Amino acid sequence: MQRFLGLIAVALVAMLPVLLSTQGAQAESTLDRILREKKIRITAEVTSPPFGILDKDGKPDGSEIATARQLAKDLGVDVEFVQVTAPNRIPALLAGKADVAISSLSITLDRAKTVMFANPHGALSIVITAPAAVTLKSAADLKGKRVGLTRATLEEATVPKIAPEGTNIVFFDDIAATIQALLSGQIDAAGMSAFAAKSVADRNPDKKLENKFTVTTAYYSAVVRPGDFELLQWINTWVFINTRNGVLADIYKKYTGVDLPPLPLL
Amino acid sequence: MNYVFHFNIVWDHWRDLADGAWLTIRLSAMAMVLGLIVSICTAYANLGHIGPLRWLVAVYVEVVRNTPFLVQIFIIYFSLPALGLRLEANEAALAAMVVNFGAYGTEILRAGVEAVPHGQIEAARSLGLTRLQTFRFVILFPAIKTVFPALASQFILMMLGSSIVSAISAVELTAVTNTLQSTTFRAFEFYFVTTAIYLAMALGFRAVLGGIYWFVFQRNRPA
Repeated sequence: MQRFLGLIAVALVAMLPVLLSTQGAQAESTLDRILREKKIRITAEVTSPPFGILDKDGKPDGSEIATARQLAKDLGVDVEFVQVTAPNRIPALLAGKADVAISSLSITLDRAKTVMFANPHGALSIVITAPAAVTLKSAADLKGKRVGLTRATLEEATVPKIAPEGTNIVFFDDIAATIQALLSGQIDAAGMSAFAAKSVADRNPDKKLENKFTVTTAYYSAVVRPGDFELLQWINTWVFINTRNGVLADIYKKYTGVDLPPLPLL
Repeated sequence: MNYVFHFNIVWDHWRDLADGAWLTIRLSAMAMVLGLIVSICTAYANLGHIGPLRWLVAVYVEVVRNTPFLVQIFIIYFSLPALGLRLEANEAALAAMVVNFGAYGTEILRAGVEAVPHGQIEAARSLGLTRLQTFRFVILFPAIKTVFPALASQFILMMLGSSIVSAISAVELTAVTNTLQSTTFRAFEFYFVTTAIYLAMALGFRAVLGGIYWFVFQRNRPA
């Protein structure tokens, strides 16, 4: 009897690791996977000045790229950039090609239905920009004009709502094509972030581009897939720390030339 | 993978997709007709005895066949305005498709023209037909009949290639799909349905081209 009880006790002790591990067995979280692989994949939209550009050596640079590099450094992992255009930012994230999307994605309710936003780390405004010869004082003046917008951007979500009937809105696949259409005269005006408009105007002084009026202002933040709560919480903590120590303000000022406004919490 | 499919959202936008598909069909049909005319003209120029003209055609064919379609479209839409010629998006798309098809069609027709038995051509010339008359009555018909399957394939390829004109904001099927999926975030559903629509259009065009072949070449035509 005692030997029998002893055998059962030994068997239970031997099975303990198996029992405990099946108790704790869950799917590995994205944050755990990133820490294990020592690599985080972040989207890089390089045709969106000043958030994402290619520097003179052809390497990704810009305020969002610098933010991504800082985030990876503080997490203690390497960063692998996944190049995307504006319409591919969220699809690349949802398809698993990237773990985080840090590409000036403004916080909108429509996007929030399919992805999770972290606390914002920057702000931008959308303007209508056109050559000086074109008169556009407000949205009503857009009637009869050809207005270019980039797909899957904040301007695509907001400009058609304020544009009157009779405005000819044309869509392009990335910001570079929209800018090219404006410069070549194929469109009368274009909607884009104020920073992008300034960068285009500075590089093309002969076109005399100027911001006509502001459409909307928004905060943008990092974006993760639905369900990656551990990663989301880490990013929120990271934004909190780097807002207080001024790192985010420094990056923003360096690339946009403007002071970072006070950042609200979600 | 825990992605939930929402095909009903695609159905809500069927009218936009139909408008886009209709533009694709119109662009492709016009480009087929104009492209064929261009190919016939360049094939005739190739046969002629004017050296510089044949050289011009050769340059055109080689440049267009060896550069990407997207680059050709960008040049026509973005760069031509700098030279003074500003085309609307749809006009630029049609122009690019015709230019692109013309180059491939020229090579296809050249094969058909070379396949016409030389005896026929010599007989026509000895009967006193001019070069133009020989080309029109003796060479062209059998040449097109011989290479019709290759021409039909190139037509279909061009219709599928029309999806690239979405890059210059022509509002055809791919452009509509891109815009819709970027606002609803239902990429898989929309692209799946659009693929099915392209498949249906390609099969439809093939049927129509097959019908044209039968009507023009295979019925017993009055003498």
